[in-house]
Amino acid sequence: MSELILQALYSGVLQGGSYALIALGLALVFGTMKVINLAHGELVLLAAYMAYTVESRLGLSPMFAIPVALVLVCITAVLVYFLVSLIRKDRELNSLILTYGIGIILTNAVLLIWSADVRSTSSSWMQDALVFGPFYSMRSEVLFFVVSVALMGGLWWWLSKSWYGRAVRAVSSNRDAAKLMGINPRSTEIVSFIVAGILASFAGVAIFSYGVIQPAFGHVLTVKAFIITVLAGIGSIPGVMVGALLLGIAEALTVTLASSALQELVGMSLFLLVLFVMPNGLFGAAGRRG
Amino acid sequence: MLEIANVRAGYGAINILWDVSISVPTGQLTTIIGPNGAGKTTLLRAIMGLVPLSQGSIRLNGEPLDGSSTWSMLERGVAMIPEGRMIFKDMTIEENLMLGAFPKAQRASAQANCEKAYAMFPRLSERRTQLAGTLSGGEAQMLAMARGLMSDPKLLIIDEPSLGLAPVVVNELFEILARLKAEGRTIVLVEQNTHKAVGVADHVHLMQSGKVVLSKPAAEVSLEALHELYFAH
Ligand SMILES: Nc1ncnc2c1ncn2[C@@H]1O[C@H](COP(=O)(O)OP(=O)(O)OP(=O)(O)O)[C@@H](O)[C@H]1O
Ligand SMILES: [Mg+2]
Repeated sequence: MSELILQALYSGVLQGGSYALIALGLALVFGTMKVINLAHGELVLLAAYMAYTVESRLGLSPMFAIPVALVLVCITAVLVYFLVSLIRKDRELNSLILTYGIGIILTNAVLLIWSADVRSTSSSWMQDALVFGPFYSMRSEVLFFVVSVALMGGLWWWLSKSWYGRAVRAVSSNRDAAKLMGINPRSTEIVSFIVAGILASFAGVAIFSYGVIQPAFGHVLTVKAFIITVLAGIGSIPGVMVGALLLGIAEALTVTLASSALQELVGMSLFLLVLFVMPNGLFGAAGRRG
Repeated sequence: MLEIANVRAGYGAINILWDVSISVPTGQLTTIIGPNGAGKTTLLRAIMGLVPLSQGSIRLNGEPLDGSSTWSMLERGVAMIPEGRMIFKDMTIEENLMLGAFPKAQRASAQANCEKAYAMFPRLSERRTQLAGTLSGGEAQMLAMARGLMSDPKLLIIDEPSLGLAPVVVNELFEILARLKAEGRTIVLVEQNTHKAVGVADHVHLMQSGKVVLSKPAAEVSLEALHELYFAH
């Protein structure tokens, strides 16, 4: 029994890496633009289907899909940005409807192009077992967990050391003050969409390489990312990473101890629990902005 | 240096400033005083492009500023130290300072200006890696001042720096203002502390209900007459 639990913890942590990448993108965009991009999961989905296409059409490893996914997803992300920025009135509210609609359009585009079938990788290199002591996983899970950690390290460096990364944080924290520092908030908004697109590209290829995808999955990912951001406390980047691990672990434990049918329910329960018990999230200070 | 002529501005349908005209001469300290809600902050925000004008013009060295963006002001040599400090609380002191030198032209000298700021505000130097949100009110004001100086601005606009600070810290702050003035910077200072503000100023403007009701060289201002006007409605 305890072995099963340990194994579930391990799988949950590995899964948490991709979840963190997805949720960080959502949180970055929310920070600069105060917009919740409900089409964010669909961006991840696009990248996942690029991986499927590269593998099934060209017979290459899904890894080779990363450059194509980066281009396609970032262009789509910037398009979403421009559509959202067209909203003049009540942007925080109206953008919800707009991005929800974009999400539906993207899901249907995926359905049209790739059909409703469930897809997964057929690369045996990706699926080969990798065993560390008592822990078992596919090679792709470990590979992409390492990639996620590296990307998060890069993101941390960018946000704390680079001029533009700091500007993104400044705009998230106090928009008027950021303008007074000579920062054009619109350019940090575009930058945050692009960075979210980069993270989504890697997450999408990862999810295809160790899991199963289908057109409706984008929506599920958006909900997960949203749950993680609320778990974290809005605006807390380290919080997002911990929240992602928590969700990954909670899901894996549920699948192991109860049933995989309950996997999506556990996130929601966690979400409600945090909302009631710690309304500011695990890491958000009361009244904190950005 | 700065010519404000017949400016009307406000928030949406509510007009706040009514035909405000103020001239800010180069190298001198101009203070704008007045009761709460007089529109002082609104005027400063209008200068920085944070509030749009509905009438009138603001010229910087003869060039009209109308429609130019807030984020282009640093490049034009104008920095504002806003009311309420507006420091980035979840960033370190050093990160706050570096943001003050964000425009591309300033980045090369950012490190040197940072050291200058630490020399001027030694208490910040001891706390470089501390989060700005943990600073005391006085320290936070010093950080806001230091950050505003990071781009080495020609024109410095300061909104109520002494708000909520202990008398000792207020004295320290006015010493720094006198020093900045001696460096030859042009300063616009909005203050509630009339006595101190008039003491350090070259020109005094009194605002009430969105209008300028008195404009005089500081030497000719009698504090009693000023107080009478101040409280008259
Ligand atoms: N964002 C806003 N939206 C609507 N009205 C505002 C806004 N900010 C200020 N006002 C109004 O504009 C008027 C002038 O405010 P302003 O902040 O310019 O005054 P002030 O002279 O700076 O006062 P204080 O000394 O208290 O700082 C006030 O009546 C205020 O209620
Ligand atoms: Mg004010």
